[in-house]
Amino acid sequence: MSLTITCPICGKRNGYEFRFGGEDKGPRPDEDSLTPQRWCEYVHLNECVAGVQKEWWVHKDGCGSWFTIHRDTVMNVEVAKPEADR
Amino acid sequence: MFGKYKPMWGEKTQLKSSYDAVIIGGGLHGLATAYYLAKDHGITDVAIIEKNYIGFGGAGRNTAIVRANQRTQYNVPLYKEALDLWPILTKELDYNLMFNNCGNLNLMHSEAAMKAARMTIATAQFHGVESHLIDAKEAKELVPALNISEDITYPIHGAMFHPPGGIVRHDAVVWGLARGASKFGVEIHQQTEATAVNTRNGKIVSIETNRGTINTNKLLISAGGYSAALIYGMVGIKLPISVLTIQAMVTQPLKPLLDHVVSSGAYHCYANQTLKGEIATGAHMDQWPNYTTQTTAHYIKHQGEALSEFMPCLRGLRFMRIWAGLADMTPDMAPILDGNDHIEGFYFNCGWGYFGFKSCSASGKYMAEFMAKGQAPDMIKPFNLRRYEQHKLMGETAELVTYTPNN
Amino acid sequence: MMTRINQLPTLRVDPTKKVVFDYKGKDYVGAHGDTVATALYYNDVRIFGRSLKYHRPRGLYSLDGECSNTCMEIDGIPNVRTENTLVKQGMKVKEQNVKGSAENDMMGFIDKLDFMMPAGFYYKTMHKPASIWPVAMKQIRKAAGLGVLSPDFEMPGKFDQIFPSADVVVIGGGPAGMSAALASADKGLRVIIMESRPWLGGFFDYRTFDYRDENYKNNKQLYSRARELASKVESHANIRVFTHTSVVGTYTNNLVTGFQIGKDNDKFTERYIEIRANAVVVATGCIERPLIFENNERPGVMQVGCVHRLARTYGILAGERAVFSVGHDLGLEAAIDLFDLGMKILCVADVREDGQNPHLMIELAKRNIPYLKGWVAAEAKGGKRVKGVVMTTLDGTISRDFDCDLIVASAGFTPLNGPLTLAHAKLRYDSHTNFFVADKMPEKTHAAGRMLGLEDSLSIEASGVIAGLKAALDCKLMKESYGNSDVDALKSEIDATVAKQKELPGPARGSKFVTAPVKGRKSFICFDEDTTIKNIRQAIEMGFDVPELIKRFTSAGTGPGQGGIPGHNLPLYVAKYLAASGAPPKPTTVRAPLVPTLIATYAGSKHIMMKRTPMDDMQRADGGVFRKIGVWERARYFSDDFSCKKEIENVRNNVGMLDGSTLGKFRIHGPDALKVLQRVYVSDMSKVKLGRVKYSAMCNDDGCVIDDGVVIKLAENDYYFTTSTARAGATIEWLRYHTRFDGWDFYVVNLTDSMGVINLSGPNARKVLQKITSEDVSNSAFAFSGYKEFMVKDTIPVKAMRLGFVGELSYEFHVPSSYMVSLWNMLKDAGKEFNIQNFGVEAQNVLRMEKCHIILGQESEQRTNLLDLGLGFLWDRTKKDAKTVGAVALRQAENDPTRFRLVGFEMENNGRAARDGALIVDDKVRGYVCTARDSFTLNKAVGMALVESHLAKVGTRLEIFEDECGGERIYGTVVPMPFYDPDGTRMKS
Repeated sequence: MSLTITCPICGKRNGYEFRFGGEDKGPRPDEDSLTPQRWCEYVHLNECVAGVQKEWWVHKDGCGSWFTIHRDTVMNVEVAKPEADR
Repeated sequence: MFGKYKPMWGEKTQLKSSYDAVIIGGGLHGLATAYYLAKDHGITDVAIIEKNYIGFGGAGRNTAIVRANQRTQYNVPLYKEALDLWPILTKELDYNLMFNNCGNLNLMHSEAAMKAARMTIATAQFHGVESHLIDAKEAKELVPALNISEDITYPIHGAMFHPPGGIVRHDAVVWGLARGASKFGVEIHQQTEATAVNTRNGKIVSIETNRGTINTNKLLISAGGYSAALIYGMVGIKLPISVLTIQAMVTQPLKPLLDHVVSSGAYHCYANQTLKGEIATGAHMDQWPNYTTQTTAHYIKHQGEALSEFMPCLRGLRFMRIWAGLADMTPDMAPILDGNDHIEGFYFNCGWGYFGFKSCSASGKYMAEFMAKGQAPDMIKPFNLRRYEQHKLMGETAELVTYTPNN
Repeated sequence: MMTRINQLPTLRVDPTKKVVFDYKGKDYVGAHGDTVATALYYNDVRIFGRSLKYHRPRGLYSLDGECSNTCMEIDGIPNVRTENTLVKQGMKVKEQNVKGSAENDMMGFIDKLDFMMPAGFYYKTMHKPASIWPVAMKQIRKAAGLGVLSPDFEMPGKFDQIFPSADVVVIGGGPAGMSAALASADKGLRVIIMESRPWLGGFFDYRTFDYRDENYKNNKQLYSRARELASKVESHANIRVFTHTSVVGTYTNNLVTGFQIGKDNDKFTERYIEIRANAVVVATGCIERPLIFENNERPGVMQVGCVHRLARTYGILAGERAVFSVGHDLGLEAAIDLFDLGMKILCVADVREDGQNPHLMIELAKRNIPYLKGWVAAEAKGGKRVKGVVMTTLDGTISRDFDCDLIVASAGFTPLNGPLTLAHAKLRYDSHTNFFVADKMPEKTHAAGRMLGLEDSLSIEASGVIAGLKAALDCKLMKESYGNSDVDALKSEIDATVAKQKELPGPARGSKFVTAPVKGRKSFICFDEDTTIKNIRQAIEMGFDVPELIKRFTSAGTGPGQGGIPGHNLPLYVAKYLAASGAPPKPTTVRAPLVPTLIATYAGSKHIMMKRTPMDDMQRADGGVFRKIGVWERARYFSDDFSCKKEIENVRNNVGMLDGSTLGKFRIHGPDALKVLQRVYVSDMSKVKLGRVKYSAMCNDDGCVIDDGVVIKLAENDYYFTTSTARAGATIEWLRYHTRFDGWDFYVVNLTDSMGVINLSGPNARKVLQKITSEDVSNSAFAFSGYKEFMVKDTIPVKAMRLGFVGELSYEFHVPSSYMVSLWNMLKDAGKEFNIQNFGVEAQNVLRMEKCHIILGQESEQRTNLLDLGLGFLWDRTKKDAKTVGAVALRQAENDPTRFRLVGFEMENNGRAARDGALIVDDKVRGYVCTARDSFTLNKAVGMALVESHLAKVGTRLEIFEDECGGERIYGTVVPMPFYDPDGTRMKS
């Protein structure tokens, strides 16, 4: 495999310029009435999708931005944003 | 001399509509659990459901290294028992698992690493596991191929030498356990895919497969790298797991050169010589989730660079074959063995990362006891899922392994 | 020595240029252009080695290195494929895996013991009783393996690496590949073509007439067509040619890797090549599918291409009396051509009942070559080399013997799909060609030529043109790079070419024949592993019904030949054996590298890269002992005394200086800068005052401490802060991650490398400082925790902080890296009279430990939270709106009694310090020693440990278990922290 990732600022680059930053779980949950279970889910638990997932990446050896892409975890290739997400 | 050639794990049979216990995943942990369910607990009406063929996943893709030099008091006894079981299983199964008790040498490349090794070694010795800290010269005596000069990226300061470890023929374990389990009546259904799990009133009642429904009230999912996706998909339990692709490779076969397993954390590299003479080496994982078993150009090159530095004679060897498997990593590098909690009769055994081979015998033994009695045996109690919400990570690694930003 | 046919136009050797090399201590002479294998064959060497398991004699078979039989040790390097290695003057060549010689191997008797070694016999033997296994294992290890490598072997040669990019990469320099390259290049695209042989030409290179065409005599001969294409390719401005370059890996997103073998004048022995392309054409052609019969690997049994190329490319006639047993037209063509070159051909047997090209049969008849349709070789006769062959009808009912010294055997063809499947193509069995063909191609990848089943030469070239045009279209469709130009014209050109190709012959029908009607005890499906078809049957009967599993159980296809010999026959044979199940053949998995590749080649020209501080040279000159720590080289000691007594005492009594340049250093500014700090630091950063230094920590979402450092307010929403050395690289990423949903406006700059840091510590520190600056640095003007900016000598801008990490009066100077040396020298000169000395990282470690200041990673691991470390006082719980990272987890964990606590302890009875990493135990492990040292300052052994909270009370006795203690424990007592100067008078005065 040889992943390439499209940085919103720098364009398509070698995947090794980036660092993975987790499944997209949305913003931090509200801290009021937050249970340990919910917090653990936000911090540690994953859906482990075998297929297309939305996920965070940072262009560590580039511009330093954080952004999301959609990637097929079975083929390890970036895919176009699904219609529903546009 | 060898008798007739009979199917090793029974003739192909029809899938029944009901079993006392069903295990999803025909890998090492599933096979071992089935074997011990039958042998130790008399539960023989067991079906193993395997989507591909037995040993398709990590069971056939690991590099067969066994050892019990883990970091914490919870892990060491479990791995020690697993290590002690190889000769016993060879005898019980009447199948040569080819345990090469050659010992493991874990290289240390800094004073900080030497300190970390002391803690691991003290933990091993405290639990009666042999392990010693040796200096670079002693390491070179054990492995003459080592480069102990200062002139490499990570000069070798010393090593943790762990004599009881070694290599076991991984495929033999798969086939031996399959044969052993099937002798007790366990049915192994290959090319059979589990598609859904049915519960009623918080209890397991049946599972759906591509070959029909199976009723059961004891279900174990131990499907290696696929466990997390299956458990979330079919049972709805999310796990603190990231599934990563891990790669390994072998060189062309060679007359004996390496007499021990050598590994290096700093170089992300281990190497040992198989009985066939190949140097098996690996360790790298791309640090993002994947279900691909495609390998990378990046890694095989990295491995060439690493071996060229700390075992430079290997530069004259050729890589012959690289392959990949899946490692289901947890943040504390310790597995999750749990069950009969979230859903009655539902058990799961996953999160072994890249340690699933060395532990399979003991893990199977205790999961079988867990399933037979409904109560987690003391040995595996600490490996429950709830430790993560209690902020009680196990510390099998000094550094947290989360695939969020670097922390 | 044989005679060479010297005058062939197809020759790739120059017989006038002699090459002398050493084989087993004797001089042999080959010709320039010979491979080691052809040179040896020319010198009458027939047995090249012995097989792995049975020590059977083996010789030339494919001439392309598809089995380990012809691997030898060359210049000390084991397992070199002699068929792919050009012979060079002075080379030293040795045979492998023999006891005695390949000709007379003392282990040859093992061949008779095969009945003891059925499939998987290892698993059923040698473990009863258990004590024999270690003994047996030793013997197995000795017997296994091919070549020998010494642990002190030093690989000769130079290794290089390049990473070119291209629009189109063409894999394979045969007629299809060359046509593809030209088609793409003519469209203005940059093309790289890679060919494993030293020249372009593929299977045209050694062929003359294509007799299948009635008018063949009027056509251009194939080799000359190949040379015509090659010269066009080589002279094309848009094409870069890599010959003698094997492709070893292909990956998604069109990444291709390979390695090139250097020519005489190249500056490299081998070089690694990694190409990122936009489109890939795979035109790798076919290898031959072996014919299986008894003793089908005897020296003297060869594939068609091997015999044909020996003659046409190297001028060597492989034998005098040949029998052909083939299953394809190329076999018939070779027989005709070899007959014309003077080989006596006793008969040509063809396993195909029909479908042969009639013109080839006419040519055979013209030459009176006996042609046996529906016949096949059943058994090779002769011990060490072929002396005859038993031919039989396909049903085995009739047989005939021939005396011959050469059996040319080939069942069919195998497409080289590796570059497709490695890039994730899915294969499907095609019953017409009997090939596995790609069902779903990888993106922007196209196949061409023989691998599609094409045999007609024009059709092959046309398929190359089509693939080349399609690859060009792929590129042009990438708007951002090519602006979508000429797309429509290109599409119609492709359509036209496809239409034209349809008029030419399509894929040829492939023979399905695998094995002669024999029992198969010595019929080898895999030469590397000595696997017979009998072994395969045994495995299937034992329940291994998938080729991939059979491979594992019997080892077939797992040897150095990379599955070239059994790769195709195994699935065909298994499918045939399990015909009742009706399942089509399933391919085995091909893995990278496609050919065995040297570790040295993969390593290429790697350089060791470490960072050095501006003070590196000066500290080395002062006797610094350096260590690699993270990405840096740092001075760890300043003498050979690793207890650092002198360094420590000098800081405590006089003054010392330390290079702290590796600290992470950052500036953050912009309207939302403070909000960012509030998010990541546990303290209330709004309380940071101008002119003061604030110490704080960052936690992760589990509340575990990941960093600590100081923050300085430069102006409103403008801060300078430091991180630990290890965190420097990850800090900006961390800040941006935890603010990614907020849309805040801030800038953060990593100043780690542009700023250097000098730490000046000790009771005389102020006196030294006063000598180099007129700034008022008295205790009242510049107090503990103070921050000042001033100029030294009106030139050097200094950010100065009053800190106390080592527990003494202490200044930290942050200056631009370019001024570091100057400032360092000034301090050194100024400090002379106060006995200023360097101190290193280890001395600092002890000094701060005596003061119980923590170092993350030493007093913590990543499950240690802020409260465990006793740093709860840093945490401001009132700034809830900040959503401080870690606060949630800290709230949830703060009342948990089962967590670890950091404690200070001293050893009982003036004992020595426990070792770092020692355990705190009772009957269980209860904690561990983080750092402990014999303190020269305190005259006792002290340390810090993380222990379960019930052991944290002052006065608690700690039972310490060290490695190698043999059960003997040592004891310490929990004491208050810090050990040294508890009220901080020294660092504050």
